[in-house]
Amino acid sequence: MIEFRRYLLGLAAAVAAAGFLGASAPAAGQTKSADDLVLRGDAVCTKCHTAELTPHVLEIAKTTMGTVADPRTPTCTSCHGESLKHRNGDGKPDVTFDKKSTTPIEARNEACLSCHRNDPSRSHWDGSTHQSRGLACTSCHEVHTAHDKVRDKRTQPEVCFTCHKEQRGQIDRPSHHPIPEGKMACSDCHNPHGSTGRALMKRDSVNQVCYTCHMEKRGPFVHSHEPVDEDCTNCHNPHGTVTENMLKMRPPFLCHSCHTPHSSNNIPALLGLQDSPNSATTTGKNAINYNMARGCLNCHTQVHGSNNPSVVDPTPQFMLR
Amino acid sequence: MKASKKSIGLGRTLIAAAVLAAFGTAYAQDDVAALTQPQSSFGAGVAVLSGHQGDRSIFGQFNGMREHGGYLDLDIDLVKRDDSTGTWTILKGRDLGLDSRELSFTVNKQGDWKFGGDYSELVHREIRTVNTGVTGIGSTVLTDTRLATPGSGTDEHLQLKRTRLGLSGDKWINPGLQFQVSFKNEDKEGARFWARGYECASYVCSNTQSAANQRWALLFLPEPVDSNTKQVEARLNYHTDKLFVSGGYYGSFYTNSNGNVRMNVSAPLNGSTGLPVASVSPLAVLNLPMALPPNNEAHQFYVDGNYRFTSKTRANFKLAYTRATQNESFAAMGLADGSQPRADFGGQLDSTLAQVGLITHPMARLTVNANLRYEKKDDKTPIAVYNVENGTFWSNGHQTNEKTNGKVEATYLFPANFRGTFGIDYEKAKRELPLAESVVGPSGVALAGFNALRGETQEVGYRAELRRSISETLIGAIAFSHSKRDGSDWYNLCTNGACTAAGLVYGGLYSGDTLSAATVNTGAYPFTLSDRTRDKVRLTADWSVSDRLSLMFVAESGDDKYEPPSSAGLQKSKLSLFSVDASYAVSDMWKLSAYASQGDQTINTGQNTGYRAELKDNNTALGVGITGKLSGRLEVGGKLSYVNDVNKYAFSLYPLNTNAGAIAQVNTYGGLPDVTYRETKLSLYGKYALQKNADVRVDLIRYQAKLDEWTWGYNGVPFTYQDNTTVSLNPNQSVTIIGATYIYKFK
Repeated sequence: MIEFRRYLLGLAAAVAAAGFLGASAPAAGQTKSADDLVLRGDAVCTKCHTAELTPHVLEIAKTTMGTVADPRTPTCTSCHGESLKHRNGDGKPDVTFDKKSTTPIEARNEACLSCHRNDPSRSHWDGSTHQSRGLACTSCHEVHTAHDKVRDKRTQPEVCFTCHKEQRGQIDRPSHHPIPEGKMACSDCHNPHGSTGRALMKRDSVNQVCYTCHMEKRGPFVHSHEPVDEDCTNCHNPHGTVTENMLKMRPPFLCHSCHTPHSSNNIPALLGLQDSPNSATTTGKNAINYNMARGCLNCHTQVHGSNNPSVVDPTPQFMLR
Repeated sequence: MKASKKSIGLGRTLIAAAVLAAFGTAYAQDDVAALTQPQSSFGAGVAVLSGHQGDRSIFGQFNGMREHGGYLDLDIDLVKRDDSTGTWTILKGRDLGLDSRELSFTVNKQGDWKFGGDYSELVHREIRTVNTGVTGIGSTVLTDTRLATPGSGTDEHLQLKRTRLGLSGDKWINPGLQFQVSFKNEDKEGARFWARGYECASYVCSNTQSAANQRWALLFLPEPVDSNTKQVEARLNYHTDKLFVSGGYYGSFYTNSNGNVRMNVSAPLNGSTGLPVASVSPLAVLNLPMALPPNNEAHQFYVDGNYRFTSKTRANFKLAYTRATQNESFAAMGLADGSQPRADFGGQLDSTLAQVGLITHPMARLTVNANLRYEKKDDKTPIAVYNVENGTFWSNGHQTNEKTNGKVEATYLFPANFRGTFGIDYEKAKRELPLAESVVGPSGVALAGFNALRGETQEVGYRAELRRSISETLIGAIAFSHSKRDGSDWYNLCTNGACTAAGLVYGGLYSGDTLSAATVNTGAYPFTLSDRTRDKVRLTADWSVSDRLSLMFVAESGDDKYEPPSSAGLQKSKLSLFSVDASYAVSDMWKLSAYASQGDQTINTGQNTGYRAELKDNNTALGVGITGKLSGRLEVGGKLSYVNDVNKYAFSLYPLNTNAGAIAQVNTYGGLPDVTYRETKLSLYGKYALQKNADVRVDLIRYQAKLDEWTWGYNGVPFTYQDNTTVSLNPNQSVTIIGATYIYKFK
């Protein structure tokens, strides 16, 4: 009787399991089997990783990876390995991606790159700053979710600020790109997957990236300002500053970092804080005019360059007009 | 008949098994569908704001919520997937009720083709208010009438609006070949803060500065913006098992509807003490046209990609050629006055870029990474005489330059998952010096106010890092870097009497030591060309204290020391940053987070014989956050952030400055007052699930900002332009926003 009962229990378990277990993972190009929940061949995993127990795991189906009509889409074991021991209840999957994972970074990344390698935005991943610093794809990306924070410009910056703390403090300054407002994200200028430009710029140089939105600064101009043409960040901090126009320093200090001033005895001053207040004979090149308002740019307005060809005094070559 | 316990137990087992087999699958399918099918939603909301627009100019500079006290808003997320064909249809809309709206659509047969478009608007509102008598703002002809008193004009709020339209598509021609194309069009219009100023040179105006004659004027002149940019990119991507290569074209085009801006200015204007003066010497000059940015375009052809020699050795590469031109007719820009040497500038810059990188694992634990990048910009713009000063003429210059960057680094994997990296970085830049055709006249004015240029700079840097990326408890890194920049001899531009007496000739090449030794040579040298030593150390640690608590620490410190041939200009800069972040999972439902950062930056710079400035910036950022569920239906959360940024300006005198006025100014005031910015933001929300497919969300935001600056006025005394235009900003701003949003979800 006891043996018969055990036999019936085993039969009951087998009947129940048949409701969920599918055949072994089908090859790519085949459709899901009746036992698969979300991905082709996922039955080996979803018999335990059910909707009740691990709902977040199944959310991968909401993404492009869950589009089974695309023969390229993976199954669980494509990324996590066959994981025979794990299936038998012994240990973790062959490849894991969480923060405490002991899977080598290269192995984790190869799970992604095996499909995503051949994409122009990742052509320079090998040898790039993030790759050589040991970042895994999953350091930034979440896969088992329909909302990958780093791919939404409203939430992307908080992912980048996990490591880039200096920029976290800068974007809240009053002169900033519209990143806190969710209108721009770090990836509007940077390609974190690698590039030929400095500081992982999307294009080949800092200036080329800046010109995509600020193309009026490209010139070339009749009267050019060489540090402008070389690198916008010679003068600007694009992450945010208290000084207007995202300048690293306000004029005159920024300009005096390269240029000899008009009058060496004019100490930058404020109205009301002058040892010798302005008089009727005070010249235009005075301590107030090159410190307050736009500083040197009160007169040298065309600081990015001027296309004025006039060869008549007063010359436009000093960026006056 | 009495059923035995054993029979009942067996019966229950069979019944349970039968029920599970019959209904277990159905139950799982309902849950699975909810978790695995793409979901759509739309959210319609209303927000009410306190105060008036002056109270939220900093808050509302980009988000479209500055001008009014209430807004309706709409977000759309329509995501459909045809599982039989793998075709996605996505329509997304953000902030559709605001003027910072975005709308995009994509139709994508995954793995085959994709087509999409996007439309967006973004308005940038200047945070300051201009009170002025200037009229015609936004147009190319302005009229300026002096206000009787500061503040008696019209309040103007400048803004720039960008309207962008994008189209893109791609198609897999076969499994290894993909074609991609994109097009972006952006219109920009509005007015931007600008100025016009001039002090008459003696060879332009003969009158002297006095109470009866004003020889200089600074005026508010807003730049009219009406321009368009177009960007088009097409590429063909090809891959095999080992090779990925992409060839493409990127074209960018800038068109400006405005060629110049003129201001009709008439006397009287303010004199040096703010009183009106009827005789204004530079009036004719101030009425001359100012050039606006010319049309320009650039075309780039490129090939890039990578190759896997083996699984252990991979390379990447890029080759690109770009031609950038600017040849807009001066007459069409309204700038032709008969003196110009050509009908257009004929600007042409041809750039060539070549890059190759290699990463290889010669041993199981060793990785070697090398990269070489070369870029040359060849300036082919015609040389012509564009410059004049008091009867002396000279030509434009060229911007030809070459830059070579290289790096080699080796990483070794030590036991316990520690990686040690050592790297060498190299950069060499060659810049074209002023051409022989350029002539500096006997007045001896140096080119644009600095003493010398440098044809070549080179920088060599060394890096060492120890990193641990894999651990169940502690990962992090410590890194050191050191680099030194030097270069060629300096190309002297100084020809004044003192420089000549020291034996310096124009165009002569001199070492930095020679120039330093010429004690009369106190001019500034561009910091971008000066010798520099750069050091930096950075420490990061990410500690999983327990399953619930993790902490992250970042500390970094660095300094740049410049060594120009004089003690003027940028000398030194230092920075440090300390930051700690914490996250704590109180339970499965509740999470806490917090951070604190402190950053300091100091810059030492100075005028050649006037002052020395030590500029300090101290930035403190704090934040706490909480999210959780009060019940199965009610989710709540909150964030509080605080930023305090203090900028200090301390002066000392150049050691040989004996000017009594300068000495008195520094001794009395020491420097300039601090500029401080403080921002506090509190965001609270609650989201209640009305039913399975509908939520209502309530937000409460309190934003406070304080910007204490002296740029446009100090201690109640405004800076005034010569026409009594003033610029102001409410230094203490705050806004409270209450919003409610209904979110409906559907499949």
